[in-house]
Amino acid sequence: MRKRFISLALLVIFCFSVSACSFKDESVVSSKSISVSDIPEYSNSAYIKIDNNIPSFKDSEMTTKSFEKYSELDNLGRCSVAYACVGKDIMPAEKRGTIGSVKPSGWHTVKYDCIDGKYLYNRCHLIGYQLTGENANIKNLITGTRYLNVEGMLPFENMVADYVKETDNHVLYRVTPIFERDNLLVSGVQMEAKSVEDNGDGISFNVYCYNVQPDIVIDYKTGESWEVGNEKSISESDTTTYILNTNTKKFHLKSCSSAKNLPDKNREEYSGNRNDLISKGYEPCKKCNP
Amino acid sequence: MIVILCLDDKKGMMFNNRRQSKDKFVIQDILKLVDGKKLFISSYSESLFQGLESKLIIDDNFLNNAAEEDYCFVENNNLKDFSEKIEKIIVYKWNRIYPSDLKLEITIQDWNLIGRFEFVGNSHDKITREVYVK
Repeated sequence: MRKRFISLALLVIFCFSVSACSFKDESVVSSKSISVSDIPEYSNSAYIKIDNNIPSFKDSEMTTKSFEKYSELDNLGRCSVAYACVGKDIMPAEKRGTIGSVKPSGWHTVKYDCIDGKYLYNRCHLIGYQLTGENANIKNLITGTRYLNVEGMLPFENMVADYVKETDNHVLYRVTPIFERDNLLVSGVQMEAKSVEDNGDGISFNVYCYNVQPDIVIDYKTGESWEVGNEKSISESDTTTYILNTNTKKFHLKSCSSAKNLPDKNREEYSGNRNDLISKGYEPCKKCNP
Repeated sequence: MIVILCLDDKKGMMFNNRRQSKDKFVIQDILKLVDGKKLFISSYSESLFQGLESKLIIDDNFLNNAAEEDYCFVENNNLKDFSEKIEKIIVYKWNRIYPSDLKLEITIQDWNLIGRFEFVGNSHDKITREVYVK
């Protein structure tokens, strides 16, 4: 599995628009997230503890009034933070409905014999159906591997759901999908929860669940996938020739008019991976959109 | 000693120093099984048995202090070093997967299953009680 460094520092102060389940009541919630520069490479555990397993809810957020809020999709059609105070009153009384009409960012319908249930990808609820009863809500569904869904997220959802059912208490619950740069497929999700009435005695966690699937290689930029040993070289497949403006730190397609007019002293030809260029501080030209 | 514990489908017991789950019908079933004998618990488990203190011995060193045929409700203890002392294990299975960082380190599959009983919990659809002896 290729190493994936996640810049969670970008989420330190993260503002997002949210809408309640009625999709009418719009508000803005600030979420202080973890300040971790990277996540360790996946190593046979579906989840890892972060920040000593302590969720980052503020005291002022503790409430016994149930709610659920979902962020607007970004300009790439990707989900962002989903946040709820889970109480019995918003848990579903009916079986889950159909969600197949939703195609979250990075979605591919692909099957492998080595996966339980065959399908690599599930439509993963950020806030599980058993907690808030959301069906085909596009703001609450991401493309996640079977492994992320069943081994990573579901155990935490089960624990919270059963705690609420048993105690009739409330649990603050936040799920943050983590995308690397402009990838369409989420690298993983941060899950935080804290029980309210007992101030975390019953439920308290802060974890990162990996969006991986054992024996499958995934291109997180697009969601394409290959069985281990049968993969194409991602670096080769993504190799393109760009023209760099070493002065403005913009990069262009060779055919771009801006590239043609570049003075030689600022012009450099580069063959390689687009993401590598961005990681070196270059920005794509807004005109040719390379 | 007779150990009583709760497990998820992956032999998990605790996560982040907290029990994975609880169900008041399990507590009622335990008290029925113990049938008036004293039940050893740690101070962590006390909140599950509120109002029932007269039926308990609360002792954080109970795994060392319990004698033969004493009932011990175990939540946050590693049983690995007490395997020889245990004559019977009563397991309540949640039939769910929860996160875990403390797991049962005894291979109960190597023990003899002598009883199984299923019931609906207060907050769990199906709880299975299994009894194992050496």
